[in-house]
Amino acid sequence: MCRSRIDRIAEVFLGAAAILAGGIVLLIVGFLFYGASPVLQSGEFPLLFTDREWQPTSDREPQFGIVPMLVGSVLVTVLAGSIAVPLGVAGAVFHQFYLPSLFKKWNRRALELLAGVPSVVFGFWGLMVLVPAINRMHPPGQSLLAAGLVLGLMILPMVALTSQVALDSVPREHLQAAAGLGIGRASTILRIALPCARPGIGAGAVLAIARAVGETMAVVMVCGNIANLPGSIFDPIRPITSTIVLEMGYATESHKALLYTAGLILVLVIAALAGWLAFHRNPEAVAK
Amino acid sequence: MSAKLRITDLSVSYGDFAAVRDVSLEVLEGQITALVGPSGCGKSSFLHSLNRLTDMIPGCRVTGEVKLPDGTDLCGPYLDVLSLRKKVGMVFQKPNPFPHSIRKNFEIPLREHGISKREVPEIMERNLREVGLWGEVSDRLHKSALNLSGGQQQRLCIARALALEPEIILFDEPCSALDPLASGVVEDHIAALREKVTVVIVTHNLAQARRIADRVAVFWLQDGVGTIVEVGKAKDLFASPAHPDAALYLSGMRG
Repeated sequence: MCRSRIDRIAEVFLGAAAILAGGIVLLIVGFLFYGASPVLQSGEFPLLFTDREWQPTSDREPQFGIVPMLVGSVLVTVLAGSIAVPLGVAGAVFHQFYLPSLFKKWNRRALELLAGVPSVVFGFWGLMVLVPAINRMHPPGQSLLAAGLVLGLMILPMVALTSQVALDSVPREHLQAAAGLGIGRASTILRIALPCARPGIGAGAVLAIARAVGETMAVVMVCGNIANLPGSIFDPIRPITSTIVLEMGYATESHKALLYTAGLILVLVIAALAGWLAFHRNPEAVAK
Repeated sequence: MSAKLRITDLSVSYGDFAAVRDVSLEVLEGQITALVGPSGCGKSSFLHSLNRLTDMIPGCRVTGEVKLPDGTDLCGPYLDVLSLRKKVGMVFQKPNPFPHSIRKNFEIPLREHGISKREVPEIMERNLREVGLWGEVSDRLHKSALNLSGGQQQRLCIARALALEPEIILFDEPCSALDPLASGVVEDHIAALREKVTVVIVTHNLAQARRIADRVAVFWLQDGVGTIVEVGKAKDLFASPAHPDAALYLSGMRG
């Protein structure tokens, strides 16, 4: 077989693979739109944001408010991010600049292992250990705090590992220049390494946060699943993901369409995060 | 003329690999000392050990003595390495400005060494003038230093090193990554440092060494390890080198 023929076959095959991967996303989004279309067409859509409560199956007066759940999703993500990002970046700085190279491999292994723990195990641990502990502080235990902590620990290795890669790819010349000018370790980290690594660290953090928005299993086990606006971090919440997983089993017709709509909103939130990331991923930004 | 650096029996090794063995050299104050010799004979390792940049390389070991006139041993274990590097500056082969604004390139090291933010603009201007860069960049000090040309970046790095008022500046092939014109400009500015600071420069460019150096040390491999085989005034050394390998090398017949 001649070279150009192999090349053509490869082109077709690779192209098909690429189209398939891209096509599946469109398929899923299209499917969500289709499932959500009864809500989108009937004019019920604004009710999702104006109704105060979520009572989609009530016989007398159904209520479609997803705002408490949306707020729950946002709050739990913010909490998880504000735990995981500082800890992850600090850990990566320690790994890169302070940890003796003897231990580096082990620290990395541990993080990779943590990243590989299935979310149901995280949730189980949260339910068995974290929730009772929080319950002793402030009942009921299943709460925004529990969900945020579990989720924060789950995305921590992602943030830490991507930050390590970003710090590791800071050009050696910059670090050498800093050393040659007698700049100490702390200033080298703060003024040179972190600014240089910022785009990579930011990208990793946004990806981890996008994962946190969509994480379901661990959250549903520890968050309490009550669709009210939480008054404090000790109150239970019910993020959108939990709602979908808890109700999809028995949802019919309009209720099902509502769940599709909720899923669609979730996908759009994550797409917005990804879009924002693509927009801000500008290497020149470091130079400012 | 007095010795600014008195180097005795300096050896550098990386793990089991010996790069430099038993080098002794006196660097005279206010002069330009050029280190020449073929690649891989330890010139850069030697230079980097003079301000302890070898500390950054895992497994690198330096033995011997490098003494300042006040008796400080730069190889000593209790030395404050950061203030040593303020005293003994370094300019690298590849221009390495920080990926920040020109102004920040001065601000970061100056503030690290306790100079207040108010004094930065004046020090920056003085040193940028010193390397002939002020006129070219004075209207874009807040712009990224990476937008400058290679030669401008290297002059910025020299100015940045000068801003710390070092007593000695080490140059590690500062022109070899530049085009000939930019190289000439940078060379002129290095030559202009004579008398003001003590300069040690590694160069592969023998013509450059001949043009700017007061003294020349020739590095050569002996039994696979780099060492100095000949030192002397540039004029004498180029006219009548004693060491046979050095003679061939300096006359351009070999190396």
